[in-house]
Order: sequence, then structure tokens, then C-alpha cells
Amino acid sequence: MFEIYLMLGLSLNLLLGYLGLLSLAHAVFYGVGAYISALLMIRLGMNFFFTLPFSALGCMVLALIIALPSLRLKDDYFMLATLAFQSLVFSIFYNWTSVTRGPYGITGIPSPQLFGYKVSEIWQFCVLGFIFSAAAIYVCKKIHASPFGRTLKAIRDDELLAVSLGKNAAKFKVSAFVIAGGIAAIAGAMIAPYISYIDPTCFALDESFFIITIIVIGGTGNLKGPVIGTFLILLIPEILRFLSIPDAAAANIRQIIYGLLLILMLRLRPQGILGEYGLNKILSPYAQT
Amino acid sequence: MLRLDHVTKHFGGVKAVDDVSLCFKEREISAIIGPNGAGKTTIFNLINGFLRPDSGEILFKTKPITGLPPRRIASCGMGRMFQDNRNFGTLTCLENILLAKKGNPGENPLNSFFAPGKVRRFENSNLKDARKWLDFVDLPNMENVPAGNLSYGQQKLLAFARLMAAEPEFLLLDEPSAGVNPTMIGHILNLIKRIVNDEGKTVVLIEHDMSVILKVTDLVYFMDDGRVRTFGTPEDVLADKRVHEAYLGI
Ligand SMILES: Nc1ncnc2c1ncn2[C@@H]1O[C@H](COP(=O)(O)OP(=O)(O)O)[C@@H](O)[C@H]1O
Ligand SMILES: [Mg+2]
Repeated sequence: MFEIYLMLGLSLNLLLGYLGLLSLAHAVFYGVGAYISALLMIRLGMNFFFTLPFSALGCMVLALIIALPSLRLKDDYFMLATLAFQSLVFSIFYNWTSVTRGPYGITGIPSPQLFGYKVSEIWQFCVLGFIFSAAAIYVCKKIHASPFGRTLKAIRDDELLAVSLGKNAAKFKVSAFVIAGGIAAIAGAMIAPYISYIDPTCFALDESFFIITIIVIGGTGNLKGPVIGTFLILLIPEILRFLSIPDAAAANIRQIIYGLLLILMLRLRPQGILGEYGLNKILSPYAQT
Repeated sequence: MLRLDHVTKHFGGVKAVDDVSLCFKEREISAIIGPNGAGKTTIFNLINGFLRPDSGEILFKTKPITGLPPRRIASCGMGRMFQDNRNFGTLTCLENILLAKKGNPGENPLNSFFAPGKVRRFENSNLKDARKWLDFVDLPNMENVPAGNLSYGQQKLLAFARLMAAEPEFLLLDEPSAGVNPTMIGHILNLIKRIVNDEGKTVVLIEHDMSVILKVTDLVYFMDDGRVRTFGTPEDVLADKRVHEAYLGI
């Protein structure tokens, strides 16, 4: 789980941290990646590892389709557009029953296999997740250190100034979206065999919010933020379990804690614990920096 | 080099720029002067594409650029420094300058993975130039300081260094001397003269400091209420009665 959310956090950070774009559609890429991989395995009997490029490419194309119209809109309207895409794709998952089996979900997703070696135990998934998230960290680290990453942050700070230097802001933003979509797709492909069952509720709006919470708490615009954010946010349910709070109550308490943390962080430390860029600038135009 | 033909821009009822024709020759330093609200900054916004004229045409290097997006006009060699201090606040001073150079292969994310050598070579020479510009504007110790933490005058200098690093052919400078100490102004004026004489660049200044105007400009336009009232050599324009009235408020 940790590695999957780490990848989602890293991926959203490219948009929220580097570009200051609050996308509410991140669970879409996560979900479409999961469905593509699971369906290819079940329907066509493909090997898990061969489904990954299809998942990633599918989501990158989808990211392009979502980014082009959404990025024409500013601030709140951009957020609303991504919200619309989130709802739209959720209802496709839910209603396209001939493919996704709608609310029944997809069951019996097989374990990944490589050269006859089967990944089915938890620790084996952890190793696989570790390899994937290490790859995601590598990609994000390269981007962080590259002129591309630097220009993303410049566009976030002052788009008009960047444009006056000849930067094609729209192209940079769309590229970031496409890369983020690809990384989230791999996270989705991972979750499907890990829990062996997916349904639309795994990829609903609250999942998008959950990924946002990781960044808001951990921090924006560098690699440490998503790591610490994922760690802390997955620690909370464990603490509740440790305090032996009954499951039914724990689910609600967890939501309350996430909500409170979001509000507290935005008031007290808008760049997150280890972040660089204050999100209060996009989340509340009236807030002081 | 750059020509505005009967350009007009209205904001609601305000005639910010009203039937203005200007001509800036290659290798010259020109200035636009006039009281606040005369429409000077609006002219710059029209030239670099932030605003679209209601009517009229703008020609850059004999090609019409009217209505082109600002990034395209910038790619043609138009550089702009803003009246209000604009910098990338969370980036360091060095990063602010590194950004400027055009044609950086590292701006394509694929090159960082598949052509890292090319990216590194460009970055190394870029780094050398960027440090040179930071030295030039006397901010060498500020390399790793976020631009947002600089004082007003320092931010102005950083903006100038970034513009120079972008190596534009045509420079629009909106009140470059405001808030900068006199030694540094002299320093910047010398550089401007040098790039015009040695590198064949063209400069347009918006300026309130008459000593700056007299020292460096070849041609001055005086604007008021969105119109060009007079133009000519700095000596002639500054001797004009209307210019005196506007500046002394008589
Ligand atoms: N974006 C805008 N929207 C509305 N009015 C504007 C805008 N930009 C400039 N103006 C108006 O146009 C006039 C000229 O402004 P400006 O070009 O900034 O003057 P200057 O730079 O000569 O001081 C002013 O009356 C100003 O209020
Ligand atoms: Mg002005």
C-alpha cells in the first residue's frame, strides 16, 4: 500500500507541487490504469508485466484528453473541470457493465508472474512495489533536477513572465499531466492484483482527495514531501488500530482526522511539512502568504 | 526594426493608446516618456503580445506580429523587462537566470532520460553565462537565495540579468532605473550602450529620469493621454513647452 500511494503522491506532486494545479481527477488515472491492466490479464490472459505499457500509454493519452480542455480554464474553473472528469469516468466505470462489470467490480485478478515465479505473498508485493516506486522516484528526481522541472516551477510562480521569455506554458503543463498520468497508471496496475478485486468505489472522488491530502501534509515541489506525506497518512489508520478503536468508528474518525489535518496544514504550514510552495495561494486566494 | 502603424487600444471608455504610430530603428536607443497613465506600459503590452490592438498594425523586422501569442513574439527576439518587479519568487537567483536561455534541450523531459549528455553540456555553459550575469549586476553572493527574498532594487537587477541572459535582439525596458542606486544605473546604461554598439541590439526605454534620457537616447517620444504629442532628439523634446508642463504640472 505504501508504495502505491507513494507513486500516486509523486505523480500528483508534478501537478500540484510543481505547477500549482489542483486536479481533482487523479483517481481517474489510478483507476483507468487498474482497469486496463486487470482486464487485459483476465480477458486476454496477458502477463501482468506486459499489461503495464498499455496501462501507462492508455492513461497518458487520457491525461492529454483531460488536460487540453481543462488547462484552458483558470484556477477554480480548472478545478471544476477536473471534478467533472472525475465524475464522468467514475460513472463510466459504474455503468459500462459489459466491460467493467459496473458495481460488481472485477474479481479474481491473477497474481503477477515473471519467468514462472509468482508474486502472491504480501512481502513479494512489497518487493515489487519497492522496485516500481524506486523507478517512479528516479523519474521524478530526474525531472526535479532538469530544466524541464525548473520551468514548471517558473510557470507556477509567474506564468506571464515565463511566457514573455518565450516559454510555451501550455505545452509544459500538458507534458507534466501526461507524465503524471503514466505514473498513476502504474500505481493502478499494481493495486489490482494486490487486492485481487477492484470496483468503481476504489477510484472515486474521495480517493482523489486522499492523494491531495498526501501532498498537502507532506509537502509540495520536491521528493521528500510525498514520501513523508504518504508515510504519515498511512500511519493514522495503524495508530487507530493500535488504540483498538472498533473498525466502524475508526473509518469515520480517520476521515475526521484527515479533514482536520488538511485545514490545520493549510492554515499553519501551507507548503506542507517538507515542501517549497505554499498551496494557500491556489486553495484560498484571500489567504496571506 | 519595429513599427507601430495607427495602433489603438481602448479599455472600456479609456483611450489608453489612441492612434499611435512609432518607429524604432535598429541599433538605436529610444525612449518613451510621459506622465503616469499616458499609455506607455500599454504600448509595451501591445508590442510583446500581452494585449491585442483594437486596430492598427505592428511590424517587427518587417513581419506583422499583430495578434501573435506573446511566446511567439518572444521567440522572434523580443525581450521585456516589467515596470512592476517580476521574478520567479520561489526559484533561486541562479535558477531565475538559467531559465532564460532559449533552445534549452533539457526543457524536453525526454532528453533528460535519453540524451543526458546533451542536456548536461548545455546546462554547463548556461551556468557559466548565468554566473557572469549575476556578477555583472553585482549579486554574486545571492546565487542560492530565492528571488522573492531580495530587496526591490535587487529584484530589478535580477530581472535585468535574466533579460540579458535571454539574449533578445530587441529590448523593452519599463522604468529600469526606478529604485536602483545611481552607480548601478550608470553600470546598466554602459552595458545598454555597449550591446547596442557592439552587438547591434535595439532598445526602447520607458523612463522618468531625464538625465538618463539625455545620456543614452537617440530618439524620444513624448506621450500624453494615449497620444504621441511630440518626438525627436532628446534635447529638442525636453525643450518642448508641453513636456515641461506635463512634468512640472503647470
Ligand atoms: N489592463 C487594463 N485594463 C484597464 N485599463 C487599463 C489596463 N492597462 C492600462 N489601463 C489604463 O490605461 C491607461 C494607460 O496606462 P499605462 O499604459 O499603464 O500608463 P503608463 O505606463 O504610461 O503610466 C491608464 O488610464 C490605465 O488605467
Ligand atoms: Mg507604466
